[in-house]
Amino acid sequence: MASLGELERTLMDRLWAAAGPVSATELQRELADRGLALTTVHTVLSRLEQKGFVVHDDQRPRRFAPRATREAHAAELMHEVLGQAGDRQAALARFVGSVDAEDAAMLRALLAGGDGAGSDAAGAR
Amino acid sequence: MLPATAVALGVLAALLAWPVPAALARARWPRRDPLAALVCWQAIGLAGGLSIIGALLVHGLAPWGHSLPEAWWHWVTWQPSTEPVRGDHWVAQTLAAVLAVELLGVLALSGVRTARTRRRHRALLELLVRPGGVPAERASAGETLLLDHPAPVAFCIPGARPLLVLSSGMVAELDGAQLDAVVAHERAHLREHHHLLLLPFVAWRAALPVLPAADRAHDGVRDLVEMRADDVALRSLSGPDPRRTLAVAIVAAAGGAGGQVPDGALAVTGGPVAVRVRRLLAPADPLPARARWAALSSAVALLLVPTLLLLLPAVV
Repeated sequence: MASLGELERTLMDRLWAAAGPVSATELQRELADRGLALTTVHTVLSRLEQKGFVVHDDQRPRRFAPRATREAHAAELMHEVLGQAGDRQAALARFVGSVDAEDAAMLRALLAGGDGAGSDAAGAR
Repeated sequence: MLPATAVALGVLAALLAWPVPAALARARWPRRDPLAALVCWQAIGLAGGLSIIGALLVHGLAPWGHSLPEAWWHWVTWQPSTEPVRGDHWVAQTLAAVLAVELLGVLALSGVRTARTRRRHRALLELLVRPGGVPAERASAGETLLLDHPAPVAFCIPGARPLLVLSSGMVAELDGAQLDAVVAHERAHLREHHHLLLLPFVAWRAALPVLPAADRAHDGVRDLVEMRADDVALRSLSGPDPRRTLAVAIVAAAGGAGGQVPDGALAVTGGPVAVRVRRLLAPADPLPARARWAALSSAVALLLVPTLLLLLPAVV
């Protein structure tokens, strides 16, 4: 039995790959090899909707589509990770914050044994 | 009347609002002992809030009793004041209430907001990333994800189900020992719950934008948790020169992401990162035990003074 997270990923992959909105029955048929019940498909779809990854239209039966492309979601995530707004610093701990080109060059000089590497006391802020 | 207590608390609040954080932010010893310095910052934050709200409360409730607990009890049980109540007493009471509600409210709001951001990040990651992308020898904890992105980025999302994320750019740029150093650094953040140390300072910087000390304290704590995580990471690293390995990883991660910062975003200057690299390459002696105890006892004293002033009946 696959985990919910795994099912969500599988369903999203199908929706992203589809040419347009897809109904739950079509999804179930596409995933026939996994033997999913239609209610399971609906459960996973509504979870994805709650998380804001999926939208549905008003047709009967309802058809589902991804809210944004996979690339857009990845870009959104990276934008937040690389951004420096206050609350995000508390939301995740990044290994190293971004520095500008000049500072990056200075850091490389430090590693090469250049300016100031000799003493911690030289670390003016 | 409790004039002496209110004045003493007011003086303490003023010291903690300006000269004390300024001195600690300027001091050089914190980078030799980040943990002790982190304890000092937490004490400054707590004692500062306690003393300013306490000073206002003590003054505002002075007509109701001779000590704060007594006056407070009389006030909440609607007993008449023993001395005439002037306008400034009402003003002090109101200010104390407003400040307490603002500081605690902003802290709660900030906590809720970061929790929501974390939940969304986690949901996005679970959707975008298939587990098991990370080389097996480094995925021991099972919560390490490999995010397909060219920028060398590593981060962790703290919480009940912490996640550690490496970008494919990071994996491509670093060798095995350096990746181990990155992972050890992020694990140190998670294990020591550094996000909880930083959260109040993020909140209070938002609550008190006019107070330079709030900025200083936030930046100080932010940089110190990084240094602390570096120190903890070094302990678990093997290899001939773990300090240099970690320093190389830091520089690689900082240099590669340089072009990725969107315009208008406030980029962290080389300052704190350079300090981290310098103290790895040319470590200063650790703080002597005596100095460390002095720092820790000052932190305890800082918390005890306002607490005692508030709880002990006024002597005057």
